[in-house]
Amino acid sequence: MIEINGLVKRYGDRLAVDHLSCSVRAGEVFGLLGPNGAGKTTTISILATLLPFDEGEVTIGGYDLRREAERVKPLIGLVPQELALYPTLSAWDNLAFFGRIYGLRGSRLRERIAAVLDLVGLRDRAGDAVRTFSGGMKRRLNLAAGLIHQPRVLFLDEPTVGVDPQSRNFIFEHVARLKAEGVSIIYTTHYMEEAERLCDRVAIMDAGRILALGTVKELLDLLGGGVIYAGLDAEALEALLPHVRSLPRVKAASLQDGRLKIEAHEVRTALLELIELSNAQHLPLRSLAVLEPNLESVFLHLTGKRLRD
Amino acid sequence: MMMLNQILAIAQKDLKIFLKDPGALVLMFLQPLMFIVVMSYALASLFEPGEERIQLLAVNEDHGHQAAAILRQLDALDAFQGETAWQGQPLTRAAAEQLIVDGQRNLAIIFPPNFSRALEQDLATAQPITARILLIADPATPAQLTEPLLGTLRGLIERRLFTAMIPKGLDFVFAQLSPQTPAEQRQNFKAQAEQAVSNSLLGGDKPLVEVERITPAGMRVEQLPNTFQQNVPGYTIYGIFWIVSLLASSVLQERREGTFRRMLTAPLSRAVMLIGKLTPYYLINLAQLAIMLGASSLLFGMSLGYSPIGLIVVSLIAAASATGLGVLIAAIAHTEAQVGGLTILLLLTMSALGGCFVPRFLMPEWLRTLGLLTPQAWALEAYQDLLVRGYGLLEVLPKVGALAAFALAFFGIGVWRFRFE
Ligand SMILES: Nc1ncnc2c1ncn2[C@@H]1O[C@H](COP(=O)(O)OP(=O)(O)OP(=O)(O)O)[C@@H](O)[C@H]1O
Ligand SMILES: [Mg+2]
Repeated sequence: MIEINGLVKRYGDRLAVDHLSCSVRAGEVFGLLGPNGAGKTTTISILATLLPFDEGEVTIGGYDLRREAERVKPLIGLVPQELALYPTLSAWDNLAFFGRIYGLRGSRLRERIAAVLDLVGLRDRAGDAVRTFSGGMKRRLNLAAGLIHQPRVLFLDEPTVGVDPQSRNFIFEHVARLKAEGVSIIYTTHYMEEAERLCDRVAIMDAGRILALGTVKELLDLLGGGVIYAGLDAEALEALLPHVRSLPRVKAASLQDGRLKIEAHEVRTALLELIELSNAQHLPLRSLAVLEPNLESVFLHLTGKRLRD
Repeated sequence: MMMLNQILAIAQKDLKIFLKDPGALVLMFLQPLMFIVVMSYALASLFEPGEERIQLLAVNEDHGHQAAAILRQLDALDAFQGETAWQGQPLTRAAAEQLIVDGQRNLAIIFPPNFSRALEQDLATAQPITARILLIADPATPAQLTEPLLGTLRGLIERRLFTAMIPKGLDFVFAQLSPQTPAEQRQNFKAQAEQAVSNSLLGGDKPLVEVERITPAGMRVEQLPNTFQQNVPGYTIYGIFWIVSLLASSVLQERREGTFRRMLTAPLSRAVMLIGKLTPYYLINLAQLAIMLGASSLLFGMSLGYSPIGLIVVSLIAAASATGLGVLIAAIAHTEAQVGGLTILLLLTMSALGGCFVPRFLMPEWLRTLGLLTPQAWALEAYQDLLVRGYGLLEVLPKVGALAAFALAFFGIGVWRFRFE
């Protein structure tokens, strides 16, 4: 459904998207995961025809994004990161307006409005001005507005920011339902749990580049079972490193930020071996941390940075 | 078809937002209407001396009857109302001055004791008497009020002087040319001469000289302009330019809220977006013009002139120049604070320069020239031509052309610099 090849976007000197390539299949939920400033919104804005790009090829639904943007537009729907609604108009009027600019009219328009209002559970508030809505309700309406014209590709830019758990589950259910209807969804988030739960495949982004791409399972496998961080005194670190490397369960070991970083095939056994080793060498462990096998850990593993500070 | 529907969708959306915003309605409709009503009533006495008579304190210290005669004539002119007594007491100079100091009245006129003697003095006298009439005016009294009063007074006094001098003059002539004419005959002759002069000057059967107010050839005015005709076009034009504030902040809001971005992802051309966005504001401008002129005509009996087509054309172009300025400001302003500041600065300065508040003919030459750089001045002139001067479309075309040039320039630059994000 979407093919991206060598996409580059610069803001002046700053490279916001750096040779990004990937493809998204029909009916797939594709996660763009990355910290603030990773380039998620920039990428989505380009795909949604809002931003020109500097290099690369993009096709959506078989249409070239650069040359056939007008053909791409009816296929796509954007649910922007910031709410994009008219606060003084009612939910109904907002949806009617966005429907009409896609050419929906009359009974067809009314059907669609009713359908998306049902979908986001706002039917009974249809006549109320949006400014009287709670934050979560506004987010749901924001989602509805992106769905009014039944797009085949949906861009969801951090749709769960500032949303209570209930509305959040609501949005998750919808993503699943839309996926079942064959809609391709690009979902950006910096919540690993969301990506793990919703996405068929996830691209981990940082500084405009895709660091890793695959199913959640494939990404977790990058950790190779797990990662252990062990804190020791400075000279002890140097002394222990060669011994740790020779442990059978350890895939790789290195020094990172004054700690010993150990990638293990099997975390639990490696941990026991490590403790035995430190006891035997009389090099006491000052701290010990085990990374859970999740995308957060994968990100930390790939970048040495945390997703959220 | 699709495009038309999209334009309609955007325009209707903006109109709906406008109608749900009481502040905007007040700004666009109530504000100019209030200005028209309040200012028209407040300034009514300036423009319509006939309707509300100017009150004038009159202190008559004259020992003769000449001052009383002038006061009677002054009263007979509908413009002034002389008051010779205050609360049952004949006015004294001190009392009159106190009334002015207290702010009860603005003007007082004092006839000196020797007034009649001065008018009736012998022409051959060696030491002529001069009588001094005093006009005491509160310094805050506008010149529009005092000047006509002074003029009127001078006229009346000259007339009085002339009639009073006729018998004296004849006496003088008789004394010089035929001193032996019998007194009775002389008396008769003098009476006849005075009667004739007085008739012709003071409106006897057939006055010898008449003054009539007319308008220049080509202008059609059946009724002199009232305050509404002076004020309505000015404040209406002032009012329509407030669209700048409305349009520019709406554009900035769409930019800020990301609704423009959402529209940009839809199959919607930028031209359609812009047309859809501007149409409602242009329509609001037209509605303002229709309501302001209509209300003034229906409620206050203001004449709408003789050229409906001229009025329509001028209104269409005036509204375009206002909406155009809105696009321009929307395009160049980056924040809503800038819109607020720019709007107030631009609108008030331009409206004042353009003559919306004070007629331009009262301004010094350089300000008048500067005023020509505002669309308000041209719009106002065009409306005054139609409403007050009774011109038709053809005569106002040059002014309409100037106004259209402003509209084109505003739209041109505004659309060129317009940003949706
Ligand atoms: N209009 C712009 N002008 C200049 N630089 C920009 C602009 N928009 C984004 N950037 C830069 O591009 C980079 C990517 O920004 P982007 O908004 O795509 O990040 P993001 O992944 O969506 O982050 P977040 O999680 O905070 O939403 C950042 O370094 C940002 O500063
Ligand atoms: Mg973002």
